Amino acid sequence: MISVKKVNNRPLNLLERIYLPEIARGLAVTMRHFFVNLFNPKGIPTVQYPEQTRPLPGNANLRTRHRLKLRADGSPKCVACFMCQTACPAYCIHIEAAEYAENSVEKYPAVFDIDLARCVMCGMCVEACPEDAIAMDTREIPGGALTRAEMLMNKEGLLRNLPGEPSTLGASNRLANDYLEGKK
Amino acid sequence: MPKITLDGKTLEVPAGTTVLEAAQAAGVYIPRYCYHPALSVSGNCRMCLVEVEKSPKLLTACSTQCAEGMVVSTASDKVKAARRDVLEFLLINHPLDCPICDQAGECGLQDYYMEYSRAQSRFSQEDKVLRQKRRALGPHLMLDNERCILCTRCVRFCSEVTKTAELEVMERADHSFIDLKAGKSLDNDYSLNIADLCPVGAWTSRDFRFKARVWFLKKAPTVCLGCATGCLAEAHHNEGEVFRLMPRPNAETNTWLCDRGRMTYKALRAGDRLTKGFIKNGLIDLEPALREAATRIDEAKGAAAVLGSPWLSVEDNAALALLAAAMKTEHFCFDFKFETGIKDGILINKDPSPNAAGAALVKAGKGGLGMEEFRARLNSGAIKLVVAEARAAALLKEELKASGARLIAFATNRADIPAGAYATLPYASYFEVPGTFINYQGLKRAVEPAVAAPEGVKPLWEVLNKLAAYSGASLRLDSAADAMKGMA
Repeated sequence: MISVKKVNNRPLNLLERIYLPEIARGLAVTMRHFFVNLFNPKGIPTVQYPEQTRPLPGNANLRTRHRLKLRADGSPKCVACFMCQTACPAYCIHIEAAEYAENSVEKYPAVFDIDLARCVMCGMCVEACPEDAIAMDTREIPGGALTRAEMLMNKEGLLRNLPGEPSTLGASNRLANDYLEGKK
Repeated sequence: MPKITLDGKTLEVPAGTTVLEAAQAAGVYIPRYCYHPALSVSGNCRMCLVEVEKSPKLLTACSTQCAEGMVVSTASDKVKAARRDVLEFLLINHPLDCPICDQAGECGLQDYYMEYSRAQSRFSQEDKVLRQKRRALGPHLMLDNERCILCTRCVRFCSEVTKTAELEVMERADHSFIDLKAGKSLDNDYSLNIADLCPVGAWTSRDFRFKARVWFLKKAPTVCLGCATGCLAEAHHNEGEVFRLMPRPNAETNTWLCDRGRMTYKALRAGDRLTKGFIKNGLIDLEPALREAATRIDEAKGAAAVLGSPWLSVEDNAALALLAAAMKTEHFCFDFKFETGIKDGILINKDPSPNAAGAALVKAGKGGLGMEEFRARLNSGAIKLVVAEARAAALLKEELKASGARLIAFATNRADIPAGAYATLPYASYFEVPGTFINYQGLKRAVEPAVAAPEGVKPLWEVLNKLAAYSGASLRLDSAADAMKGMA
């Protein structure tokens, strides 16, 4: 059932048809805001983005800027399997794989770039990751950059653990666990 | 000629045909790991089990010969259950390596699991039997015993095809694993075929290791230009880069591809690709280099010579013949004779050039001197300047040095430039432009481009077209095929 709202399009009265009194009324509203903000700048609700941001609501479950998780020894959990790059609908992920000589995990990303200018924040990369290595929980909203280069994140910029990580359960990868076990 | 009934269809097959081959011919796919059409039947993987009426147990299709009146079912519930169970056995100790495994995407275990099983694993990670992880075996291969399903294709390849028998299954039963025999090393000329043969990720190529994921790769049909055998191959490429060469099995020439042939693609990105002209020892832009070369050709007039090349396509050789005609010289030669024949009984040819037969075709169409006559004229000093492809010019290295004739060469890579070349002009490799080659059997092999040439690098016929234009003649070439006009 579509709700229908009847709008009362009454004809304008004389004062409105004269036009000038209404202009004056509108200017008065603008001037009131101007002077209130001038003498009480702390009351301005505008946020000077991107220099200023408002904290996100504490319980908000959002997809925010990506990060790459680290293992206990500081190496990236990512094994460069290219699942995120395959799943990405915006072609914003670029990975180059390399081989560890000693580490039994064998494979790691030498290059891991995310072009945030292309990213559509869909979260498919997080869904696709078999190693639980990428997450979108930094609570930072990307944007507000002046150049494209500022929107390009590299591996160093993406690697970050949140407080309490890495969890004591460690990586999901058996080879990684063996490797960390051996380092103790 | 026994008659069998396969899934309700009646087939008549030649005597001695196995059930798997009969099904394949009838278009019914039976899953298999250990069976390979070019290797002996082993029957150990049990993946090809089919139900045969009046047989108390399921039979392996790869090793059961068709008999008169056989009634075979390849899709009964019993067969499906058997396939699921065989896969469960194979996967019991298989590591969860897919994210770091190069085989992922073309893996027999992944494909058959999705097709025939989709069952949850009943074995926990902790219960898996662990084996030796990666180790490099030989110059081209990496072995991971944990991923191996012991189909023994690699063992049979080494003992039956290369006859070098480096590999063996060590230990027995549950303890078995693939390893090198004592005192052997896996360095035969065909070792990379093992990486193709392996249905899982146990054997992987060291060259291709971690370079790309296979599902991104596109395939372009090409021909291996490593020797006169002219094996059909496939260039796997993505985003303008070739990552590997794989064989395209065919009845006439090849099932496999040799290691040296597979590595021919590396010249494309070798870092010494010529993208500019090279005069004596200095790089210079293509246009001035062409002008300089054309001036030298004009200077030599009738003493200039053109040499074809068995490393160039038929079209580019024909374009060289047109250049000779435009230069109004009698000194041109498309006569290359090499001893042909398979050197090692498998693929590698005695003739190292891919297109001596193609050059002979141009000779038949356009005439030209014999190689001996050309050598003699070069020695006598009648030839003052030679226009030739770099590797063909290398065949006349001594004569060129002795006579002091100027050499204007065409090369793709800096390493190919012959010592003492006066000018070298770049041309596009046959991974980048189309061409026709004729192998030692006389079979025509068309090469299709896989990737684009580096910026500024042109196909050879285009370079010749420009070279002719600078010396005041016109070859009237708009495509490689134009050069073939007037030739059979």
